[in-house]
Order: sequence, then structure tokens, then C-alpha cells
Amino acid sequence: MELNRSFLLQLQILTKRMVLRVVRRPLAELPNIFISAFFLFVYDGALGDVFGGSVSGTPFDFANGNFVNFILPVSILSASLSGAASGIYLVEDIESGVFKRYQSMPISKWAIILAPMNVGAVKVLLQASLILLIGNIIGADPAVGAIGYLVVLSLAFIGGMGIAGYSVAAGVKSGSSQGAQAATFLFFPALFLAPTFVPREALKGWLQTAAAFNPTTYLIESMRSVLVEGWVIDVLVKGYLVGGIFAAITLFLAVTSARKATEKA
Amino acid sequence: MLAVDVKNIKKTFISKQDKVEAVKDVSFQVKQGEIFGLLGPNGAGKSTTILMLTTLLSITDGSASVLGIDVSTKDKEVREKIGVALQDTGIDNLLTGRELFFTTCRLWGYSKKNSEKKTIELLELVGLMEAADRRVKTYSGGMKRRLDLGLSLVHSPEVLFLDEPTTGLDPGSRRVLWDEIKRLRDNGVTIILTTQYLEEADELADRIAIIDEGLVVAEGTSDQLKAGIGGDVITFSFENTDYLENAKNILKNTVQEKNELRITVEDGASKIPGYLKDLSSNGVEVSSVSASKPTLDDVFLQVTGYRLEGSEDIKKEEEKSKR
Repeated sequence: MELNRSFLLQLQILTKRMVLRVVRRPLAELPNIFISAFFLFVYDGALGDVFGGSVSGTPFDFANGNFVNFILPVSILSASLSGAASGIYLVEDIESGVFKRYQSMPISKWAIILAPMNVGAVKVLLQASLILLIGNIIGADPAVGAIGYLVVLSLAFIGGMGIAGYSVAAGVKSGSSQGAQAATFLFFPALFLAPTFVPREALKGWLQTAAAFNPTTYLIESMRSVLVEGWVIDVLVKGYLVGGIFAAITLFLAVTSARKATEKA
Repeated sequence: MLAVDVKNIKKTFISKQDKVEAVKDVSFQVKQGEIFGLLGPNGAGKSTTILMLTTLLSITDGSASVLGIDVSTKDKEVREKIGVALQDTGIDNLLTGRELFFTTCRLWGYSKKNSEKKTIELLELVGLMEAADRRVKTYSGGMKRRLDLGLSLVHSPEVLFLDEPTTGLDPGSRRVLWDEIKRLRDNGVTIILTTQYLEEADELADRIAIIDEGLVVAEGTSDQLKAGIGGDVITFSFENTDYLENAKNILKNTVQEKNELRITVEDGASKIPGYLKDLSSNGVEVSSVSASKPTLDDVFLQVTGYRLEGSEDIKKEEEKSKR
């Protein structure tokens, strides 16, 4: 009997298994979607009139008359936090012994490690798309046109992958799904040590300094540029560059820590 | 060719605070088509030995091969030949039994069509056809163990490693699993199983190695091990410790367990009157005395100096289930 054990087939089978796990726990997905949508509605509700259309032509007019465009990146990045699930999925498999079962089979270790990251990536795209759709419904209108949504989605994906890599590294290091969850909670404050509600120039000194060292800042600013201003290439390049470096570092950490976990003790 | 050849393997775990020798020196050989039992208490080194032989843990020293393939250097080749069901069963509770079999078949490289066919075969083999489309989290402990066993058989392995396959199961489920293990052996599969149940080793294993504190302290068939301690076991019971301590000095080579002393001698029944006379003349009162053929329990006590906990529990459970 001919056997097919190609890497891609193994990755596809393991990813499908992970998807089944996600689908069987739909309630686990709700909090992050809810929080992201909640941020969008609440911030727009609370600040939309302050920084929105009514301030056109005033010093507060940094949203170019549409505060939804301005605040949408915050909710999108909040949705990207769903990438953190990758680490939790992997650690759940380690805790349950499923990981060890796969290790005892002639399966590529990379397929075992990449499958939860694949699912994390898909989750990021789906949740970010959903938030974009909600944003569109409540008035988002990208300055560069509909293509702006694709730019925002790609930046969300990069950010999500950075978070996924970090969560896998933290999860494997801590050895427990609670550990992975706790470690990824760090990203939540990072969302606010950034030009979340106002442009960076309007932040107080210490917060401006913190924001300058926070990769979230560059992702938010690049998303905002296409939504609020138009094609501001240097801001966009910075977003992709910083997000890319952040994702590359955390994915490298994920790979090295996961490789250690698959090595024989 | 031997199914498994283990030569003086050792496993030392070194951490910043500690250095633990989990396996100090273990050697044994398993012939093809036999059930080999590794018997010992928790922490004896049984599971560590299995993890090393299944390529999941490195060997600190010594060597081991499965079907002539070196375990340390040829992980992948060994994994092709073996089936593994570990103590902490790695089963995805959110999937159904059918999905798990199908996924595992696909991962072993079978086509979709063959995976579907094999899934049905295996579900029938382990008696889970009726529960095939239920999520595994609804399965009983026995069903999970059968599922685990079935998953380790997907690629028709030549050598099967089972780490405490029946721990925690009720007597009925244990019997079902025992029958399945024997049937696999009858079909030519070599099985290496660990157990802390004497009855399980006695019932299933063609040969047994007793492991204690990381060392093999006895090895052979159940009959050989029993014969090895020689003759009959005479058990003396005492009402108080003074009598017991005095008796220890009078009767040589005894093994104490609680308020009992055991002595192994040839033709035990004929020697009891002489022992009782010696004890009585020294003022030692014996509350009861009996002679019996040695059991695996006696062998374990003889070679380790203590009784294996848990073996009594399984006896009681068996008796309860018969009532």
C-alpha cells in the first residue's frame, strides 16, 4: 500500500484537526470578538463627537471628520490578539499528551508546531475581517478606498503572527496553557501604551516615549494612515517594517522553544 | 532476530538542583511474538524505560534496539515499526473516535479511502463502533484505553509498547483489554507492557522482569520466578511484636511483613511441626501458620523486601465483580 507522508499533507491534516477543535468550542472565541467590537462601539460612542465631524477645522481634527476611521485600528489590533490562541492550542496538546503521541509517530515536528500557528493566523484574519465589516457598517471609509481594508488586514495579520509567535514561545516555556494565557495578557496594556485615542504628538512625555518603543504604535499609525490620510508611504513602510521585525523575532523564539520541546530529554 | 534487545541502559535526569537516576541498569531481551511484562511499583523506572525504547527519551548510557534497529540513532526507523500507548493517554477529547482514527490513519500516510476502511476495521476491533461518532470526552475510562490501544495499531506495528494499559480500569474493562492484548500476541505482535499489578503480569506476560529502583532484580517466566524462590512459603502470624522479634532470631532467612514472618523451604508442610516446636520451646506463641506454593507476590516480596501495593486492590476488585 502506497503511503503519502509529505510535510504539506501532514500540516494540512493537523491544521484540520485544530480547526475542528476550535469549531467545537465556539464560546471560547466569543470574548475576544466581543471585546474588539465593544471597543469600537464604546470609543466611537464616547469620543466620536469630541474628535469627529463636529471638530472639523479645529486643532482636534486629527480624524479628518471620521472618528471611526481613527479608532478602527485599535479594535483591529485587539482582534489580532486572537493569534495568541496558537500558543494555547500547542500547550493544550502538550498537557494532554497528544503532542507526545505525535512525537512517537514519524511525523514532521514542524507540522506539529506550525498547525496551531496556521489556525491562529486564520483566526486573526477572520476576527479582523469581522471587525472591519462592523467598522464599515458604522461608518468607516478608508481615505485610500476599499483597498485600505486589505492593507489594514495585512498589517493585522503581521501583528497577529507576532502575537502568535510570542504565545507559542511563552506557552512552551511555561509548560501550561494558563501560563501561555497569562503571558499574552501583556499585549493588552501594550494596546494602550500607544497613540490609542489621540495622535502620538498629543500624548504626555512619558507615554510618548513608551509609545515610541511599542511596536503596536507603528501598526496603529500605519493602519490609520490609509484609513484617515491616504497613502503616506513612510508611515506605511514603518508599520510593515516594525510589525515584520516583531513577528520575525517572536516566530524565531517560537521555533527555537518548540524545537527544544520536541527534542529528546 | 530479537524484537527488543536492551543492554545496560541508564537514564539520569540532571537539573540545576538535582540529579536523579531514574534507570540505573536495565537489561532484557524480548523474543518476537511474546508478551514481556515489566513489573514494578510507581517510580521503579518502568515508564522511563518505555520512553527510552520508544525514542521519546534519550538513553544516558547503554544501548537498545528494536527489531535490530538502534533506538538512539535511528528514531524514525524505530517509530515505523512500533506502536505506543503511553500511561498519560494522548487523546483529543474534542474529536470523535471516528475522527481520531481517520486523522491518525491519514498521518500514517494512508489515502482517504484506505483511512476510511481502516477506521472501520479498527473501530470494530476495539469494540467502539457504536460510540464511533460520539466525542471522546463522553467515553468511559475503559473505552478511552481501548481507543488508545486501537490508535497505536493503525500502522500494524510489529512491536507494541503499552505503559500500564489497565491502570484505573474496572475488572470488566480490564478483562476485555487483557483478551485484546492476548489476541494481538496470538497474531504475532510482540508486546512490551508495564504494570504494577502482579495478577496482570501473571495473566498476560510470557516473561516478566521485576524492576525496582531502576534495576532489574529478577527475570523469567512466572513459573521460573516462583520456582526460583524454592519450595513452599510458610507464613507465621504473631499476636505481639515480642513474639515476632524472638521468632526472627530463631527462624533464619525470614521475610517480615507486618505481624507475619515468611520462610521459603522445600516441602513446607512436613517442616511446620519442627518449627512450631522450636518456637514453643523458646516461649514464642504462634497465632496461626500456613504453607502454600509461592505466588508472584511472594517472589516480589523475596526480591525487593516489600510487597507491591495495588496488587491487593485488584484482587479485591476481581472478587467484588464476581459476586
